[in-house]
Amino acid sequence: MTALDHIVDAAHVSRVFPMPAGPVTAVADVSLRITPGDHVAIRGPSGCGKSTLLHMLGCVETPSSGTLLFQGQDVATLSDRRRSLLRLRQIGFVFQRFFLLPMLTAAENVELPQSEAGAPRADRRQRTKELLDYVGLSARADHRPSELSGGEMQRVAIARALANRPGLLLADEPTGELDRATGEQIAALLDRVNADGTALVIVTHDAALAERSTRVLTMRDGRIETESRS
Amino acid sequence: MNALGFAWRSLVRQPARAALGVLGVAAVGALLFDMLLLSQGLVVSMRGLLDRSGFDLRVTATDALPGQGPRIPDGVTKADAISRVPSVRSAIALRFARAAVDVDALRDRSAAVQGISGNGTRPWTIIRGRDLSAGAEIVINETTARASGVEPGGRLVLRASCSEDVAAPPPMTFTVSGIASFPFDTATAVTIATSIDMLAAACGTGATRDADVIMVASQDDPGTNAAAADIQELVPDLRVLTNTEAVRRFENGGFTYFRQISAVLTTITVSFAVLLITVLLTVSVNQRLGEIAALRALGFSRWRVVADVLCESSLIVGTGGLLSLPLGGLLALELDRILKRIPDIPADVHFFVFDPSAVRIHLLLLMATAVIAALYPIRVVARLPIASTLRAEIIG
Repeated sequence: MTALDHIVDAAHVSRVFPMPAGPVTAVADVSLRITPGDHVAIRGPSGCGKSTLLHMLGCVETPSSGTLLFQGQDVATLSDRRRSLLRLRQIGFVFQRFFLLPMLTAAENVELPQSEAGAPRADRRQRTKELLDYVGLSARADHRPSELSGGEMQRVAIARALANRPGLLLADEPTGELDRATGEQIAALLDRVNADGTALVIVTHDAALAERSTRVLTMRDGRIETESRS
Repeated sequence: MNALGFAWRSLVRQPARAALGVLGVAAVGALLFDMLLLSQGLVVSMRGLLDRSGFDLRVTATDALPGQGPRIPDGVTKADAISRVPSVRSAIALRFARAAVDVDALRDRSAAVQGISGNGTRPWTIIRGRDLSAGAEIVINETTARASGVEPGGRLVLRASCSEDVAAPPPMTFTVSGIASFPFDTATAVTIATSIDMLAAACGTGATRDADVIMVASQDDPGTNAAAADIQELVPDLRVLTNTEAVRRFENGGFTYFRQISAVLTTITVSFAVLLITVLLTVSVNQRLGEIAALRALGFSRWRVVADVLCESSLIVGTGGLLSLPLGGLLALELDRILKRIPDIPADVHFFVFDPSAVRIHLLLLMATAVIAALYPIRVVARLPIASTLRAEIIG
C-alpha cells in the first residue's frame, strides 16, 4: 500500500499550544493511518487530545511537529485557502452541537457546502434531495433547525457533511447532545455512511458507539495508549 | 447561496437588530446629507441668485462690496462707455441710498433705494404695472406696496438721504409706475428704485453722476471673461468682478463658517455611524462564532466569511442610506425654514440647496462607512481560530 492509498498518513505528529504558564502538549508523537473504508473511534478521558487529533486529521489544525499527509499532500505546507478547499471537497465534519445555520432550512443547510464548492444549481437540488432522503428527512426539507428535534438536526448535519461526497467523515461526539435512543439512530446512520464507502473517524465518550467501530484508539495524555481492532 | 444572500438571511434572522441598524443609519445619514447640503447650500444659492439677476459682471471702485466702499466717480458716464464695448450687451450704473417713506405703516422703517442709469437690463422684474419712464417715477417691491396700500398709478412721498454730509432735503412725491421683485430682497425689506437723476434730486445732491456699482451683462459670444478683460482695459482704475469671482469671494469670506461647521458635524455623524454599525456587527459576529468556525471547518474560505460580514454591513448601511435621503430632504426643508428667519437674509437665498454632488459625496461617505465599520468584525472572523472556537463552543 503506497502513501497515496491512505487518506491520512500521520507520522509522529504533535500539537503544542503556547500558554501563559508554559507550553501545553495536546497531542504527542502520534502516528496513524486512515484508509478508505476505515471506521475508527477515538476514546479517552476529557483533555487527552482526542478533539485536537481529530482537528489535525481534518486539516483544521496543523501539527507543531511530525508530518501529516492528506492524500499524499503535506498539510503543513498548504496555504489556508488550499486547506479550506481540501476540507470543502474531501472532508466532512459532524459536530456535537450540530452548528446548523438557524436562518436556513434543512435543505438550504445541506445545499450550502455544494454552493460554496461551485456545484450547478440543478445538481445541488438533486444531491440535496438524495441526501435528505438518505437520512430520512425528505419531509422536513423546508423546516428550519428550530423546528427540528436534536436527532433530526444531527441527521441534517450528517447530510450536510456528505454534501460534496467526501472521502473522510469526522464526527466529534456526534451523539453527545442526544438521548440514548436517538444516539442509537445516529450511530446506525453513521454505520451506513461508512458501509457506503466513506471512511469514518469518531471522537466519542460513548462506549457503545465506539464498539461499533473496526478500530478503537484509546488516548491518554496526548498519546495513543492502545489500539484495538475487530 | 452567495455572500449577499447569506448576509440578507442573517439580517432577517434578527429583524429587531437589523431594524435598529437601518434606522440608526437612516437618522445619521439624514444628518450627514443635511450637513453636505449646508456646506455648499449658501454658495450654490448665491450663485443661482447672481446668475438669475441678468448681469454677469460687477464693476466697483475697490474690492469692497457695492455700497460699502467708495463710489465710482462719474459712474454714469463710465457705464455708458462700458455699454459701448462690443463684448458688452448692456451696462447700468447703480447708486444706493436710504429713504424714509411718508406712510404710517412704514414710518419706523428705512427703505433701500436704488438709483439706476440708462435703459439697459434692469436688476428687478416687474410684477404689476410698468417699468420706469421719464419723470419722478418709482418702482416698489411687494412689501412696500402692501404696507403703503399703493398700487401702480398711486403716489408715495420719500425723504431720501444719499450722504450724511448733506442736510436733510425736503420730501419729494413720486408716482409708482410698477410693482417689482428685487432678487436680493429680504422677506421684510422695503425696496424702491428710480432713475439715478431722480434719486439725486430727492437727495438734494444735484446732478451727481457717481455710482456705487456698474452692473454689466456681457454678450454670449465672446462671453464673460472676454468682456471682463475688455472692461478692465477700458477702466483700469476700477475692479471688475465676474459672478464666479463674486461667489469665490463669498466662499472665502463669511460662508466658510458654514463649511467648517458642516465639516465638523459631518465628521461626528460619520464617526457615530461607524461606531453604531461596528457595535451591531461585532455583537452579531460574536453571537455566531461557533457557526462561523463550523463553516470554516466545513471548508468555507476566510474570504467567504469576510465577504458575509462585509455584505451584511453594506446591506444595513445601504438600506439606511436610501432611507436617509428623503428623511434628510424633509429635515433640510424644516431647518432651512428656521435659518431663514435670520435677519437681512435675502428671501431667495437658501441654506440647504439640493445639489447632485452632495448626493454623490453622501453615497461615497456611506460606502466608506460600511467598509470601515466592518473592519473590526472582519478582523474577528478572518482571524478566528477554528479549532479552539469549536472547543470553546462545546465547553460553553
